[in-house]
Amino acid sequence: MTVWPDTREGTLDVGGFETVDMTINVGPQHPSTHGVFRMVLTVDGERVVDAEPYIGYLHRGLEKLTENSDYRQSMGWWDRTDYLAGMCCEGAYCMAVEKLAGIEVPDRAEYIRVIMMELSRINSHFMFFGAFGADLGSFGTSFVYGWRERERIYDLFEEVAGDRMFPTYFRPGGLTMDLPDNFEHRCRWVLSSVRQGLEDFDGLLTGNEIFVERCRDLSPVTQEQAINWGLTGPMIRATGLKWDIRRAEPYSIYPHLKFEIPVGRQGDVFDRFMVRMAEAYQSSRIIEQCLDEMPRSGLVLNPDLPTTLRVPAGECYLRTEGTKGEYSVHAISDGSNKAYRMKLRSPAFCNLSALREMVIGTYVADAIIILGSLDIVLGEVDK
Amino acid sequence: MTNEEPQQTESPPARPLATLASTQSPNQQLRKTLEDTLAKVHPNTPFEIGETKTDVNLHCPPEHFAALVTTLKERKELAFDMLRNMSGVDYEEGLTCAYHFYSFAHNYSLQVTVKCPPDNTHIPSLTGLYAAALWHEREAAEMFGFVFDGHPNLKNLLLEEDLNIHPLLKAHPLAKPEILQGIEESKPGFDF
Repeated sequence: MTVWPDTREGTLDVGGFETVDMTINVGPQHPSTHGVFRMVLTVDGERVVDAEPYIGYLHRGLEKLTENSDYRQSMGWWDRTDYLAGMCCEGAYCMAVEKLAGIEVPDRAEYIRVIMMELSRINSHFMFFGAFGADLGSFGTSFVYGWRERERIYDLFEEVAGDRMFPTYFRPGGLTMDLPDNFEHRCRWVLSSVRQGLEDFDGLLTGNEIFVERCRDLSPVTQEQAINWGLTGPMIRATGLKWDIRRAEPYSIYPHLKFEIPVGRQGDVFDRFMVRMAEAYQSSRIIEQCLDEMPRSGLVLNPDLPTTLRVPAGECYLRTEGTKGEYSVHAISDGSNKAYRMKLRSPAFCNLSALREMVIGTYVADAIIILGSLDIVLGEVDK
Repeated sequence: MTNEEPQQTESPPARPLATLASTQSPNQQLRKTLEDTLAKVHPNTPFEIGETKTDVNLHCPPEHFAALVTTLKERKELAFDMLRNMSGVDYEEGLTCAYHFYSFAHNYSLQVTVKCPPDNTHIPSLTGLYAAALWHEREAAEMFGFVFDGHPNLKNLLLEEDLNIHPLLKAHPLAKPEILQGIEESKPGFDF
């Protein structure tokens, strides 16, 4: 039995009654847990006293499978980590292999990669807006607005690579194939649609008094806490720390591109939402620049690669800014055609590990919102 | 006859844009600071400083690990305030744990590797210094069989709670058929 420093007004005086803590199981099959995530909440009335997250329901042994597959065969596994942004995962994996093997990527392929990675980021953020609105009780409406843009982006992926969610479009050294002829026109149309979608969400959620009242000042996180817990991505930028791996430790062609790093003020749930809104807009700016500046023709795959890729012995820790945070790959090769060790640093895994600290002391309904604001993808958490 | 003239501006650059831009390589300034500071603060500790393709690598034995990491975090000139990743590696010589630290103040990135002796997989836990280590250490413990001394709750995270296997060890098989109850003679379930 925990005694809370009660800040509520009009507290009920229970007098001679004894109160007991209750244990509630949330998930693993519950729409508000965003997949197969389970947490056991101990509650005192409506207050969360303790929370114990349980993960691993989607554990597929990604790292063991990668150690046992050829470098190009493993591509398909890595798509399935962050399945809302498959291209970002492919990018990180390919760049790690390229770093180890010293493979150069043609410029046109780099531009196309950045376009695809940023489209994935927009897609993932729109999915977040929709699901987050659903967590707050607007099931249906916000979800459908999110899915509208998502389907347009997935249609684009399907035209480019032949698959929606798991395109397997990247290869160590470049891309599987060049863009279709009408891509630029289609992509600009999708971008205008994305900006319209952002405005719609702005009107639907940001301007909604109920939404703002429920999110503002909920579970504020300081910069010191965020660093200590290992939060990355929009979670740490919401606290006001201007740290984005695309700028701090740049990779690919990001140093040549102009974009802002949006930050929040106090790291509460509302800031996390707003940072993602601003990021989706910046991603659309990046894509426009790439469409303007990219070489109009040229190779998209390094032509000097052998049929069987043997990567010289070495070790690297390649950092990329995934959609949820720092998506990094710790790769070790021993000179054979298979990775000796390939460790995924999953951003959602690290963000989720701080959930317990964030929800303790809040109401049960708010705990669901805080979980939603972390924007977890269980494929990435469970590997 | 060869043309000695430099290439015209219209032609594409000799090396791709991205190769020129990549900054994810070992930071020589960090390496120098690290050598100076550790030689001053820990003169009797055996450590090696090397490099991977992306980071400066500090290698130390498990018994000096906690003291070294405290220095890395506390000293102003290093200030490694974030534990961003942890990964176990099953080398033939023995189990190794690699830690990746990041310093927001200096934008430094550092890898620290700790190699365990073959018969002893104990490593001091970092949960007192970095809260981020809580889940990372649980994952490494279940996947490789490390024992992190001082961790408050070292039970399985991704695997089932009662499963006592270490799947990422090289000796562990990739797949094994399940023995079905009532059909085969042996004990039902997986026999790893």
